[in-house]
Amino acid sequence: MKYNRRIAEINKWPYIFILPYFLIYFIFRLYPILYSFFLSFVKWDGIGKKEFVGLRNFIQLFTTDPYFLKSMKNTMILMLEYIPLVLVLGLLLAVALYSRYIRFSKGFRFAYFLPYITTPVAIGIIFALLFDWSTGLINKLIIHFGWSVDGINWLGEPFLARLVVGFMLVWKYTGYAMMLYLAGLANIPNELYESAWIDGASFRHTFFKITIPLLKPIILFLVITFTIGGFQLFDEPKLLLSGWATQGGYIGGPERSCLTAVWNIYDTTFGTYMKYGYGAAICYSLFIFILIFSFLSMKIMRIEKE
Amino acid sequence: MKEYNVSKKIKTILHTFILLFFSFLFIIPFYIMFVMGTHYTEDIFKGMVLLPGKYLFININTVLKSGFLIFLVNSAYVSVITTCISVFVSSMAGYALAKYDFKLRKAMFYFIIITMMIPPHLGLIGYIIEMRYMGMTNTHIPLIVTYAASAFGVFWMTQYLRSAVPKEIIESARIDGCNEFIIFIKIVFPCIKPAIAALSMLIFLWSWNNYLLPLIILNRPNLFTIPVGIARLGSLYHVDYAAKIEGLAIGTLPLIIVFLFSSKHFIRGFTAGAIKG
Repeated sequence: MKYNRRIAEINKWPYIFILPYFLIYFIFRLYPILYSFFLSFVKWDGIGKKEFVGLRNFIQLFTTDPYFLKSMKNTMILMLEYIPLVLVLGLLLAVALYSRYIRFSKGFRFAYFLPYITTPVAIGIIFALLFDWSTGLINKLIIHFGWSVDGINWLGEPFLARLVVGFMLVWKYTGYAMMLYLAGLANIPNELYESAWIDGASFRHTFFKITIPLLKPIILFLVITFTIGGFQLFDEPKLLLSGWATQGGYIGGPERSCLTAVWNIYDTTFGTYMKYGYGAAICYSLFIFILIFSFLSMKIMRIEKE
Repeated sequence: MKEYNVSKKIKTILHTFILLFFSFLFIIPFYIMFVMGTHYTEDIFKGMVLLPGKYLFININTVLKSGFLIFLVNSAYVSVITTCISVFVSSMAGYALAKYDFKLRKAMFYFIIITMMIPPHLGLIGYIIEMRYMGMTNTHIPLIVTYAASAFGVFWMTQYLRSAVPKEIIESARIDGCNEFIIFIKIVFPCIKPAIAALSMLIFLWSWNNYLLPLIILNRPNLFTIPVGIARLGSLYHVDYAAKIEGLAIGTLPLIIVFLFSSKHFIRGFTAGAIKG
């Protein structure tokens, strides 16, 4: 009898242990998500009355809005600039670093990983300093070598601004990709390589027939996290193009060429405008985009596997 | 055999050279930032600054006088409190999911995995409005509670706890009459220190680097955290460009130092998701 009571007593403990998590999650995470869903069907400036507009926010987004589709396009262009390069460069560095003959491998790892842990805001500013028209080191070097008389307006031309953002993101994420590849390489049994070498396989052969196929889960993970993360881009492009250095800032960079999806949300809701309902509709549309793209990248990777 | 060794050596040298070249590329922007912060503003405009200058302490002085230190203090305490709460909540929930058999266990675990996929911005606007209703704008509370319930944290702790603490130890403590909560604090907690270290690093980093939320929630400069602080530096003192850069450098440094001393935990935290997941 006493024992049964003890069991009953123990059985309530898992609920007690997990309660704080769900309590906090429901109040501070789930409720805002549901509330945003409701907001996406209203027109509201945050002060006055909420006016129910049905699907009009969403229809406007995909038809007359000048910035939403542009911001999605910009985000995807930026993702196409940096994700493939990061995946390849990270892999090459990981393979080069994985060799057991390399010295100071810890130092190299530290150097490569440093950009990834640096505050994103600081990354944007550091690149704004480097690519600034009048004070940036890049332009100083270009003028010094006589390639151009008064430097290149890196952050003022749509095409160049996108290029700088892409470069900055390659710089930021390569170390992260490399670190994950290294963890994956450590899981590949050495015997596989040894027996391939005994059979006379070249480096190129083992790379394409052993390394890449066995790293597939890592590559899949990276593609999906980069796809999801790419749609969240905000801090770095915003600070790069908001005029921290000497060059004046504009919303979204020159001709809004670097206006990312989240930057668009920020500007619509908390920046230039205060359209809360409309902003919430952008959030949900973005979410649908993310779902579709992570599903697609998963599908593509699966097909390649077969 | 000798030929084999020579080619190996050449390959190693080539690898090292490539690796050195890239680490140079990765480090140089930081170097330039630190160097620019040690110069006088006019020198930065006039010429190319590649070597450290003599104005470091003057610039630091200007930065400190502008009240930059308060950003550091704010960031430090917000991130530390966030980390403590989040890790504690996650490990309790993870313990429940890993070591108890109860009716809703599976459903809860799947719920947590699904919520892990939801991007953080989905509920942003609702969250801000909620915080306004609760009167929490211009406090640090919204920055803390947003990470308090971390689905990733629970997932991570559950996975680790499954293998970390043997059931026998828990059982024997139970027979000795220990309360379940005491078991968790006294027996389970010490066993999961590595997982806690890695998770702490991640949450600390997320909280420290968070920019969007404090940008919207805080508008009093004495409440600013580092990211908002350094972003705002741009407009704080227009004239002294070099001092601004020094402020940026000071704001970037703490995280680099933390990383220097705990890169092992950082890296384990970052890679674990991919290897297991």
